[in-house]
Formats: sequence, C-alpha cells, structure tokens
Amino acid sequence: MKRSRYLLGASLMSVAILAACGGEGNDGNNNADPADNNANNAEVNDADNDGADDADADNDGNNDEEAADGDAPQGGTVTYGYTAPFAGVLDWNFYGGVDDSLALNIFNGDALYSISSFTDFEPEPSLAHDWEWSDDNLTVTFHLEEGVMWHNGEELTAEDFEFSYETIAHPDYDGPRLSNVDRIEGFDEYRAGDADSLEGVNVIDDYTFEVTFQEALANNLENLWAYPTPKAHLEHLEVSEIEDSEEVRQNPVGLGAFQVENIVPGEQIEYTAFEDYWQGAPNLDGAVYRIVDGNQAGELVAQGEVDIIELTPTQALPLEDNEDVTVEEIEALSYSYLGFKLGEWNAEDEVVEMNNPKFESKELRQAFAHAIDRQGIIDEFNEGYGTVINAPESHIRWSYPDESTLNQYEYDPDRARELLEEAGYEDVTGDGFVEDPDGEEFTVNLAAMDTPADIAEPRAQYILQTLQDVGINAQLMDGQLLDFNLFYDLVEEDDENIDIFMGAWGLATADPDPSGLWRSNDFWNFPRWDNEESDELIAEGLSEEALDIDYRQEVYQEWHQLVNEELPLIPLNSPTDLYGINANVGGVTVDVRDATANPHEWYIDEE
Amino acid sequence: MLLYTLRRILIMIPILFLVSIVVFSLAFAMPGDALSGQIDPTQSPEYIEEMREELGLNDPVHIQYGRWVAGIVQWDFGRSVVHRMDVSAIIGERLPNTILLSAMSLIITYILAFFMGRYAGRNPYTKGDYTIQGINYLMLAIPSFVAALFAIFIFSFQFGLFPSTGSVGSGMTPGTFEFWMSKLYHTFLPALVLGALVTASYTQFLRNDIIESAQKDYVRTARAKGTPESEIYNKHILRNSIIPIVTLFGFDIASIIGGAVIIETIFSYRGIGELLISSIERRDSAVVLSVTLMLSVATLVGNLLADLLYGIIDPRIRVE
Repeated sequence: MKRSRYLLGASLMSVAILAACGGEGNDGNNNADPADNNANNAEVNDADNDGADDADADNDGNNDEEAADGDAPQGGTVTYGYTAPFAGVLDWNFYGGVDDSLALNIFNGDALYSISSFTDFEPEPSLAHDWEWSDDNLTVTFHLEEGVMWHNGEELTAEDFEFSYETIAHPDYDGPRLSNVDRIEGFDEYRAGDADSLEGVNVIDDYTFEVTFQEALANNLENLWAYPTPKAHLEHLEVSEIEDSEEVRQNPVGLGAFQVENIVPGEQIEYTAFEDYWQGAPNLDGAVYRIVDGNQAGELVAQGEVDIIELTPTQALPLEDNEDVTVEEIEALSYSYLGFKLGEWNAEDEVVEMNNPKFESKELRQAFAHAIDRQGIIDEFNEGYGTVINAPESHIRWSYPDESTLNQYEYDPDRARELLEEAGYEDVTGDGFVEDPDGEEFTVNLAAMDTPADIAEPRAQYILQTLQDVGINAQLMDGQLLDFNLFYDLVEEDDENIDIFMGAWGLATADPDPSGLWRSNDFWNFPRWDNEESDELIAEGLSEEALDIDYRQEVYQEWHQLVNEELPLIPLNSPTDLYGINANVGGVTVDVRDATANPHEWYIDEE
Repeated sequence: MLLYTLRRILIMIPILFLVSIVVFSLAFAMPGDALSGQIDPTQSPEYIEEMREELGLNDPVHIQYGRWVAGIVQWDFGRSVVHRMDVSAIIGERLPNTILLSAMSLIITYILAFFMGRYAGRNPYTKGDYTIQGINYLMLAIPSFVAALFAIFIFSFQFGLFPSTGSVGSGMTPGTFEFWMSKLYHTFLPALVLGALVTASYTQFLRNDIIESAQKDYVRTARAKGTPESEIYNKHILRNSIIPIVTLFGFDIASIIGGAVIIETIFSYRGIGELLISSIERRDSAVVLSVTLMLSVATLVGNLLADLLYGIIDPRIRVE
C-alpha cells in the first residue's frame, strides 16, 4: 500500500514537470503533432517547431550583441536541456513530438524557408534562396542554395526534397505528416499505389524544383513540407523500414551546424561541430541535448549543469536576480480558453450539431466572460507572465485582430449581473444563485485538467468563485479535476455532464488558418459551434484572393470579430514562455517554439 | 527438494495467469489510449480511427487479451506507440541501467546493515543501539521521493559532489574505463537513497539474531572455555546470524525494482522504472503491460528464490 502511494506521488510530480514545459493547463507529454509548416493548429504542449533556421542571430533579445559577426569566442560545449525523454526518431518525416524535434533542430534544423517571430511570421529564404509562383498560383518553383553539404559529404540537391515528398506520400508511410503533402498534384494516385512518382513534384536541375498543387489556396506554401531528406543515406531502405533503421536512430545524417556523435537512448545526444556547415562553421566545438528532471530545471541552469532550458513561471521568478542566469521571455504561440458545450458531434454526418439549449443565449455567454477575472488568473497563478487576449490567436502575429474593434470583456461583476438579467436569468428562489428563464435551477459544471499540479486546483476554484460571485451556481464536474487523457476523452465525446471546460490550443507557426478547430465539420471544434458566416470566412481566408496578405488580414479581422461577439469560447490568455540561459552562453535566439534557432551562432564567453 | 522446487515452479503458472488478467484489465481501464493524446487537428478523426483499428484497440477486451498473451508466449511484447519501436528493444535498452542501480543499492544496503546491525547486536540497549534504531526507523518512514529530493539538494546542489540527473556523463566512449566510472558516479546517489532507506529490516534482523544467539548454549560454552569475546561474536555468532538474512535477498529483488520506479524518475535515470512512469502518462499500454508483467515475474521468482535458499540453508524447512 505504501509503495503504491509513493508511486502516485512520483507520477503526480512528473506530470507537473511535463505540464510546466508545455504551458497552460497541459500535460507536456501527450504526443500531439508538432508538424512543421502546418496550416493547422496543434494541441498546445507539443508545439510546432518552425523557424529553427533563422540566419539572423541578433534580431532578438539575446544579451550579447557584440558577438554577432564572427568575432565570437570559439570552442566549448553548450548543453540544451529538455524535460521529457526523447523517442529517438531522428528523421523529420517520421518524428512525432517536440522531444525529437529539438534534437533534430540542433543537427538538421534548416528547411526551404524559415518562419519565426522575428520575421513577423513571413517566410524568409533559407535552403531555398528564392521561389516564385506561376501565374495561375498553382505551381511554385524553388531555387536552392548551392554548396550545402550533408554530414556524410553529399551535396544537397533538389532530389533530396523529391525524396521527402515521395517518402511521406508513399503507400507504406504511416507517420503523421500526410497533411503536409496531400495538396500536391497526383497525391491520391501515388498514395494509392497507382503511380510510380508524384506528378506534382518536378526536379528541373540539381538546384531547382517545382511543386504543383491541386488547387490554389492562400497557404499552400506554408502548408508544404519543407524539410529535405538525405536521399543517399536512406534510399536503400524500404519506406516501412526507415523509422526503425539504424540510419535514423543511431547514425542520423543532417545538414546543420552540428553532427550527431553519440546517442544515449532517451537520455542525451552529443554533437560535434560540422565545419562544412553552409552558413559557416559553428563557434562551439560541440553541443549536448540532455533530458533532465523538470522539477529541477531552475536549479540545474543556475548550477550550470544545463545551459539552456525552458522554465515555468515559478522557476523563473527566483532566477531574475541571479547573475549566472539570463531569463528570456517570449510570447507563446498558444492560448488557453474556457469553452461552452453548445452541442455535440454527429459522427455519422461528420458535422457539429448545436443542440444544447443551455448556453443558447449570447448574453449568458458574455456574462460569463465579464464574471471571470482573466488578468487575476495571470497574476495569481502565472506570476504575471502572460497576456489577456480577446481573440483565439496569439497577439504577436499579424493575424491578431485590431483590439479596439473587439469587445474587451473586462472583469466587471456588475455588468455580468446585468447581462444575466437581460438574458432572463434571475434569482427566483432567493438562494443567491440565478435560475434559468423557465425558473428551473441553473447549475454549471466545469471540467478542468489536473495540471500543472501546483496551480490547477486553486485556479479552478478561483474561476468557480468569481462565477458564484455573480450568482452562477458553478461547480467542479464530479467535484474533481481530470487527468489529461480523461479530460480530452470526455470533451471529445461531448459528455453530458460537461457544461464549460478549460483547455488550451497551440497554434501553428507557419499559418493562422483556423480550419481544423472552428469549422462546423471539424471534429476538433470542441464547443461544437456551428456558424455559417464563420465557415464562409474561414474558406475565404484560404481562397486564391487571400494570397494578398492584406485582404487575408481583413478576412481574419472580420472572423475574429464574429467569434468575439458570439463567444463560443472565452479566450483566457496567451502565456509567456520563459527560458533560463547560462550567462556565459551567448548567441542564443529564443523563438516561439524553443531556443534552438541558429545553433551555429551559440558561443561561450568564459569571462 | 527437487519435488518441492518443481511444485513451486508449477504453482507460479496459474498465479502468472491471474496476474496477467489483473494487469491487463487495469491497463484497459485507464482512460484514454496512446492515440487519445494525439489531439491534433491536422489529423482527421478518420485517421485516428484507422490507427485504432489497425492497432486493434477497437476489438473486444477478450480478443485484445488473447492477442497480447499469444504474443508474449512467442516472446513478442508488442510495439510502443510512443517510442515507435518494439517493446523488447526498449526494455533491453533500459534494463542494464536498472540492474546496475539495483545491484549497487543492494551492496550499499548490505554494507550499511552489516556494520550497524553488528554494532547494535553487540551493544544492545545502549545509546549507540538506540541511535541506530532511530536512524533506521526514520529512514524507513521517509518516503523515498522526499529523501531523493533532499539528497539532490544537499549532495548535488549545495556541495556539488554528485550529478543530479542522468545515468552517464557527456563525451564518453561506451566501453572504456572512463565510461564505466562515469556510470558508477552517476548511479551512486540514486543507489544510496534506494539502498539506505531499506536498511532498517536488515539491521534489526541482524541485531535481534545476534542478541538471541548470544544467549544460546553454544555461546555460553564458548565463553566458559575462555574464547575471546571478539572471536565469539565474529566467528560463532555472526556466521549463524547472517544466514537468515541471505534469504531476504529474494524478497528484495522485487522491492528494489519497485523502489527504483520512483528514484529513477526523480533522478532522470533512464531505467525500467522511469520508462514505466512515462509510459503510464502517455498511455503506451504495450510498454506498461510488459514492464508490469516483468515486475510481477521478478517478484514471483524472488519469492521462489527466497524459499529455496531457506531450504538450502536450513534443512528443517525442506519439505518433501
């Protein structure tokens, strides 16, 4: 008995760690999709990892500006820490989670183009120095950098990209990246095994290739798979064998500033400098990717056992005054929300059905928004790290709407009571809680996750308290918090006990398209919100016309205003990601996903 | 003895069968599966449904169970959805670390218990004895994860004596002397915590046995013959008293691996225990099932070993 209790204690602790690394209210451990260049949104904790290849070191707030141009100190080794064991699938086409993508970024981070927060989420040239669209907007032609070398001495060619597309689209491929190639012309035939090659991919010469899409959509480029695969290294393998092969798990080949030297499974990867790196040899002699216990992250970076690691707000706060550590902040590309269950998923027709009358009233939903102290949640539970948002989008991206056009839903219990009254919710029985317009008892069940362990419970109680203050009889569903898996199981199957639920979404780096989460035929539309105008606007945002970014921005502006008014969910906040970096280590660029951008710029300054 | 051994081994088969049913139902009852964590709008629900179908997660429970048992009988433990490799390969990767940790913690337990038990047994009801007892029970009472965090705080962070995470340092070539020293160095602190916490039972066993033996007739005879006191204790009593402790070894196999589950997680020490915890979190049921089953088998084998050792050491226990 005693032992099992220990077990419980230990597992709770590690859940907290994982949640911490994932951000708001999430278990960092579920293996959602970190898909790169993905037009869609992914569950928050396994964020996308794009823009790992920004060539420009000091756009961002790193602390040692002077070392930017080749006069940086040479030598040394930097250790990058992460808090969940990596699976070890070191190939972009097959990897699953952020645990592997961090390792990949260090030795193989470069893609066709890069998208990052410091280029305003616009594609910037990387392996492709240039690209142009055909007049019908269906075909894009990429021109590759010359002289880019793989670690095995081969030169990067257009065939390495063709190899990527044909691997992912291959009938035997069972990895999670299909959505990044399925718009290419001829995908269906190739996937079905009816064609020997992908019709839409055309290699013109060693440094030029073109990709043709089935239809002209605004985010075809951002959606397209952008990583090359070392063809010479892998072509002797069947597609079904690649994932398990030694070539991927023990001797992976990349084209980044570091090459893999040694892998201790699930624990660490050691890299040595690759002198022939196409952007110039790295400053360091080597790098280490090391898995550590997340509870100790703050102390480990203070002790110098790791040099770069993501921190939770409670870990970062005591390090602010520490001379050995620099704490870097960046707005995360994710948001947490409080959703209303407006209906359920109709699996047969694959559409949502907005058939729950409980939250039909828009005024009622808005009353909830005014009742909740969203800034208070940030101050009380996130040490002030985070920003209140009024649209389900990260406020650092171009697609975030003009705040002045949105209802602010500031914390205002009186306004909430007014709205309740307008909607017909009044306290008839005099018990301090409102009844619904029919005079029936009105109770609201909140479903919430049990992570991060230290703040989940008080935060849920805080929200319930503020709702009760305005007269809404809110309580925790079944009186307890839910485990991550159980929570999403119940939310997905529209459990009838759930009235409101607190979740979080991560956003794709490359593109702000809301498809996948918001249309009436999206399974992941958890509030089960069905709105024709919204569907039309989302489709409009992807149309050929929306290739003009100003037009696209207008469309999204309109869509966000609609969501803001209808309020199928209440956006709570956009969290801040925090990184602890050893003060001796410079050249580190912190981006919205991680701090592995441009590792060739990293250096150690011993003074 | 042979008959007894055979009987003991045979009886393990129905026990294992029942254990497998319990383990499987528990894993089955966990909310969610490895795919339910894949909350990713780029994947259509059909894709996930397809994957579930492919993995057989939609089959009725008895069919899933049958498939699982049939696989295990053929030494096929299934495939990890999270690690995307065969479960036997992952366990093979992790097992050496756990064995090293367990062996080292056992050695530490033996050494500590031997010296403390001997001292307490020779000087019963003195201040020293009570101190040892106090320390032992205190350690028994401290939850291992608390002890581990304290050990990390004191030995790693305050004094910087030992690393707090990992099972090996960077820059080592596997197989070299340096590599093994680094492994031992990384293993020492977790092994110390794991080993020190369970010394109580050993120490008290040894102490009580020594006190009891000290009043036996053969000891009185030895004393009467004028044998030096140290020789009586070291030669006559200690030898007899150590024997029952040897049998504890069998029972310990399971409890040490069980204890390693927590310690490994806190020290980020990649072994079986850490694998079990992270697999439970990620609902990687093939791994959870295999590891739990492995721990059950280890318990059964440990108990068997303990019984057999009893029989060898003490002929009176032998059952024919």
